[in-house]
Amino acid sequence: MKIILLGLNHKSAPLEVRERLAVDDVAGPLQKLVAADEIDEAVLISTCNRVEVVALTRSLDAARHRLRSFFSRDLVSDGRGVPGDFDDFLYEFAERDAIRHLLRVASALDSMVVGEPQILGQVKDAYRAAIECEACGPIIGRLFQHAFTTAKRVRTETRIAERPLSVARVAVDLAKQIFEELGDKRAVMIGAGEMIEAALAALNGVGLQSIAVANRTPERAAELAVRFEATAHGLEEIPHLVSTADVVLTCIGGDRPVLTREIVESARRKRRSHPLFVIDIGVPRNTDPEIDRLDNVYLYDIDDLGAVASENAEQRRQQTVHAEAVVNEEQQRFDGWFAALRAVPTIKHLRAHVEAIRVGELEKMLAKLDLGEVERGRVEALTKAIANKILHAPLARLRREAEREEGMAYLETARVLFGLDDGVESPSLGAEGKRGSGGSEIE
Amino acid sequence: MIVQLHQLTAALYLIAALVASLGIALPAPRLGRLSLTLLGVASLAHAACFGLLHSGNATPALTELTMAVSFMALVGTVFYLVLAWHTRLVGLVVLVAPLAFISVFAAGIHLRVVRPAVEKTAGGSWEHAHVLLASAGLALLGLAGIAGLFFLVEHRRLKSKQAIRPRFRLPSIEALDRVNKAALAVGFPLLTLGVITGVFWTEAQTGRVFSGTPHEVWSVIAWAIYAVVVIARFATHQGARQAAASAVGGFVFLFFAVIGLEFFL
Repeated sequence: MKIILLGLNHKSAPLEVRERLAVDDVAGPLQKLVAADEIDEAVLISTCNRVEVVALTRSLDAARHRLRSFFSRDLVSDGRGVPGDFDDFLYEFAERDAIRHLLRVASALDSMVVGEPQILGQVKDAYRAAIECEACGPIIGRLFQHAFTTAKRVRTETRIAERPLSVARVAVDLAKQIFEELGDKRAVMIGAGEMIEAALAALNGVGLQSIAVANRTPERAAELAVRFEATAHGLEEIPHLVSTADVVLTCIGGDRPVLTREIVESARRKRRSHPLFVIDIGVPRNTDPEIDRLDNVYLYDIDDLGAVASENAEQRRQQTVHAEAVVNEEQQRFDGWFAALRAVPTIKHLRAHVEAIRVGELEKMLAKLDLGEVERGRVEALTKAIANKILHAPLARLRREAEREEGMAYLETARVLFGLDDGVESPSLGAEGKRGSGGSEIE
Repeated sequence: MIVQLHQLTAALYLIAALVASLGIALPAPRLGRLSLTLLGVASLAHAACFGLLHSGNATPALTELTMAVSFMALVGTVFYLVLAWHTRLVGLVVLVAPLAFISVFAAGIHLRVVRPAVEKTAGGSWEHAHVLLASAGLALLGLAGIAGLFFLVEHRRLKSKQAIRPRFRLPSIEALDRVNKAALAVGFPLLTLGVITGVFWTEAQTGRVFSGTPHEVWSVIAWAIYAVVVIARFATHQGARQAAASAVGGFVFLFFAVIGLEFFL
């Protein structure tokens, strides 16, 4: 079995491409993906900055072909087709590289803002969604559990999570380049999701004059407003709110921009020469990109924020050396576990082989002896104990050796010596190991 | 005494400029604030220097170009310091301090050969008032131009999404716009008074209100340009970027009209 990861992120694809692949409900596409023969298990991670599929397959070539088709046909469903150079935006990792990439993603080492705290939650959400739609099986499930453990280690053992550089913090830094003081400024948040909630938490300490939350669902806006001492509004109030606002932060679902050029132009007429700072972290974007052409309007989308944070990210990157070491260590640990799976069919077969001999010989012997129930039980236990003791050392050795590339020779030798049949099935595909049993609870 | 004090002033401006530059190079915000303090001390010494000049001579050599430029530097620096007291403008010191140093250094060379007394000429008090007011106006409009220039730099940086410089920063564009506005609001009336007193001076000297010298012609054109800039800024909905560009363009023209012509003609 092989692990493959295919996807695109903020480094490989522009926002214009990423926003077309954004998936709100991953269940449908995932179920379709794992229904195909090429993919045995899969998890789809879809965030503002990345869309990635981590999959288990028996054939890398077949999986590669299927996943590329999945990205270009199933995920891009807006009817506009994909750009001719779409393949250039995709990256692919297989086996160890795929494992390493996922561990880095979960640990926020591959994030636009290195060390940001949101990605771990997003990866956990992706894992949960895959479990719920039975796309995630024991091996990919174990990989994700391992990724969460790694992320936890990175956060507790390194300084990368100290003073996390969030989108809100970058936005505040930028706001200081635009405004002299933030104490007399009004902010409008459009949306009421996790990103807006995180931004509200970060902006709470900045001391803005007022914050308004506008959302499609007024109840959710009201809930946030109560928590963060803001005011709640419906989306229809956006034109009025923007006309009196200095900072607008948008992150709301939907395919059409909620902040159009007309709204901002109308607001500008009322604002005279006061600058307006717009931060759009929605994917797809919530604002018309044209508004950036307007004077006194400074629009930053998620890619722009990444670009301006690059200098801060450089400082943070220096702190990631230790984090990368943790990832390497955990990757090797998972590699070992995953490689040891190769020994499972041989071990199962060998156990079955020995058990068959034991049972056969025991039955022959018991037929010749006149023993009571108690004695028969004792003899059976004795034969089991002898078989287990004989097998213990070689099986342990096989497991250990299977973790190394060279260990395959031991497996081959065992098969030859004991006359085991080839063509055994991987336990991961056995009836008890099919999808839907994604492992233990998420940490 | 005056010469030594002028030299001390120049040295203080130079140190302020070096400390400000070091503050950017390291970068170290504390050095930025220190340079602001040094600039304040230098401007006090500068003011004392002009005070001594006035007390020692009824008509100090302000009508000399270098001394006029030195006076402009003093007015511009003091106005900047007043604004910096209320607004986060530390970043501008990196340009204000070197300009003040160059002005005072040039005036210092002149001071060594300054004549003990200036010959009284017809309309001497108008001349003095004209130079004082026009220099002050030019200084403030120069400050508006510097703020406008920095605004355009910051505006371009923000629009092109360049990386945030985490420590030492230029003032915010809002602060720069405020400086531009304030300097224009005070500088234009001073320039207007400078033009009016210039007319009286010309009238006292030649008997006509307008003698048609290149200085007069270009100065009146520059004033007219600024009048348009001021109307656009305060009476219309002109955007901050256009206001900044106007301040830069206006000052370049005014500088040429008032000082550049001295070299070309």
